[in-house]
Amino acid sequence: MTASNDQLTGIVLNIQHFCTHDGPGIRTTVFLKACSLRCKWCCNPESIHPKPELSYNLSKCIGDKECGLCLKECPETALFVLDSDHKVRVNWDLCTNCGKCVDVCPPHALNLFGQVMTVEQVLDEVEQDSSFYNESGGGITVSGGECLLQPDFVAALLAGAHERGINTAIETAGNVPWRFMEQVLPHVDVMLHDHKATDPERHKKWTGVDNVRIKANFKQAYETFPATKFIARTPLIPGVNDDEEHIRSVLALIRPHPNVIDYELLPYHRFGEGKYNFLGRIYELEDFEPPSAETLARLRAIIDEAFGRNRAPVNGGVS
Amino acid sequence: MPRIAINLGGGFVPGVNAVITGTVLAAAELGWDVVGIHDGFEGLLFRDHYPDGGLIHLSSASINNAISSSGPVIGTAAKLDPFRVRTVTEENQVEEVDRSDELLELIRRHNIDAVISVVGARALSVVLKLHRKALRVVAIPESVENDIAVTQLSFGFNSALSWTAEMLDQAREAGRSARRVGVVEVVGEHSGWLALQAGIAACADAILIPEIPYRLEKVAAKLRSKLDGRASHGLIVVAEGAQSSTPQSEPATVNPLKASLSPLATSSQGEHVIEQSGSAAKRLARELQRLLGHETYPLVLGQLIKAGRTTAVDRQLGIAYGAAAIRALHENRSGVMTAFEPPELKFVPLSEAINKIRTVPANSLFLQTARSLGICLGD
Repeated sequence: MTASNDQLTGIVLNIQHFCTHDGPGIRTTVFLKACSLRCKWCCNPESIHPKPELSYNLSKCIGDKECGLCLKECPETALFVLDSDHKVRVNWDLCTNCGKCVDVCPPHALNLFGQVMTVEQVLDEVEQDSSFYNESGGGITVSGGECLLQPDFVAALLAGAHERGINTAIETAGNVPWRFMEQVLPHVDVMLHDHKATDPERHKKWTGVDNVRIKANFKQAYETFPATKFIARTPLIPGVNDDEEHIRSVLALIRPHPNVIDYELLPYHRFGEGKYNFLGRIYELEDFEPPSAETLARLRAIIDEAFGRNRAPVNGGVS
Repeated sequence: MPRIAINLGGGFVPGVNAVITGTVLAAAELGWDVVGIHDGFEGLLFRDHYPDGGLIHLSSASINNAISSSGPVIGTAAKLDPFRVRTVTEENQVEEVDRSDELLELIRRHNIDAVISVVGARALSVVLKLHRKALRVVAIPESVENDIAVTQLSFGFNSALSWTAEMLDQAREAGRSARRVGVVEVVGEHSGWLALQAGIAACADAILIPEIPYRLEKVAAKLRSKLDGRASHGLIVVAEGAQSSTPQSEPATVNPLKASLSPLATSSQGEHVIEQSGSAAKRLARELQRLLGHETYPLVLGQLIKAGRTTAVDRQLGIAYGAAAIRALHENRSGVMTAFEPPELKFVPLSEAINKIRTVPANSLFLQTARSLGICLGD
């Protein structure tokens, strides 16, 4: 890798170690900021905004009587105190995510999601887990948000990982210009990719855009990169896509391509709900429940049959 | 001839037509032209959605009967935020785009010299941001909760108050015929003005407001003494933000993390949210029934409180606010909110109006009145 590529920067949300649901083996997952969809079930809302973003957890705030340092630091008057509990609130309309309040918040009630990191910094941290990769067949997975929205950074990161002998994977929803995918895929061993809904209108209703380009991108990826392994996935959302029609339509898309080695269902969960509140947003799927075990088993059986096996792989939840 | 635009950014509140009437008539006196922007700023930002191009000319003739009609002359927008407009880009990516510069350019291109924005507490910050970007703007406060700081009275409150008191009377009658205790929930997450004043007007047995954490056993004792005296029914008014001061036998149905949300946030990136509507009445009714052994029934007035007729007070106040906004612009003021500080109408800088909520103070005359009537406040 060239020195200049080594110093390329990206906006990294988090580096999570010892992941077992983000590709083969034990992996280190690098979550990047920015997403081009607005899936209503998203469990990583802190990854959506392209830049570092403030979050606030009221339960950690010790109040203006004990502290109040953030109030003096905010240049936008975006922080204020409610008389009822003497704790801080964020006026999200005025906040510019400058992060000055974060630096002075002793209990870390205020935090900034996202930081600028170089390729070298990320790889140095990822490489610390290399002994796990060797034993388990794991490696690095770059996720998001939509990691392909930072194509230069991701391409350099994965090329650098290959140079260090680390297996590479990405997680993508595919809603990017083809040139971004084309730029990154030569450095990818495994691509995990989402088929969220079949019907374009339904896809638009639940994610913000239709899936015409997404499907075209995936088809082109299967055909252009035969050596890359692809794993299709569906975040299974009750009432949105937990029907046979969707599962069978995805199978019809992927089965003609032998490099699509699996199709996984990720049952909906609500683990991300609290984070919406910390970011000052509403979680819209409050009344949704995870899919039943019966539904999951029935749909997985359809996939097993298509792949000619007896049991579907067990995987984690919605990404 | 100066051209003024008016828009409604806080949802429908009784009296908006009075504000528009006051604005148009006062502007006409100065020979100024007035246009209405449909649906907050959407009439300008999404002009192709509107057959009339998003702007409507407002004259003394065109608003002839508006003052006495219930529907607003121009549409309202629940959100008034040109800084974060959700957009699908040419690259088919969903983004929240800052269209404020484009909005200011559109305002200039339509020869609009200043904007009068009718807004609730949550949109005041957006108006302030537009002012900081050199928009000449005056805000008029609307609120059925009367929770906007630095004004004694927001328009819309008086109409909501009258209508709520009427509905409380109906609820009491329903309770009498069913021999039950009615637990009626009204809006008010942080401010208990509506519950308190309407509850006094309806002579409720108990009024529970966010400013005074209540003890369930106190409320039960009040009702028990009434029911033991052979009364068959009762009436409790509870603001949606009222909280028990003691641990409840059943947990709140709402994630406590929601408390991290700002009560003054707005827009797609900073939503305002409160506990699920109705949860305060439902929980209280169930717990009281357990304690009293007497049937209760929860009733949630919710958005119904905006459905009543506009009272004369709100008509006067709305007209006065509209006229005052024109006066402010005539005096070259901008970045201010009209405020009623009896006996005066004042202009308060927007920077002083944001980040505050007008709550019921402990020494409020209304609280004293309630206590002297024997109304239980839960403390």
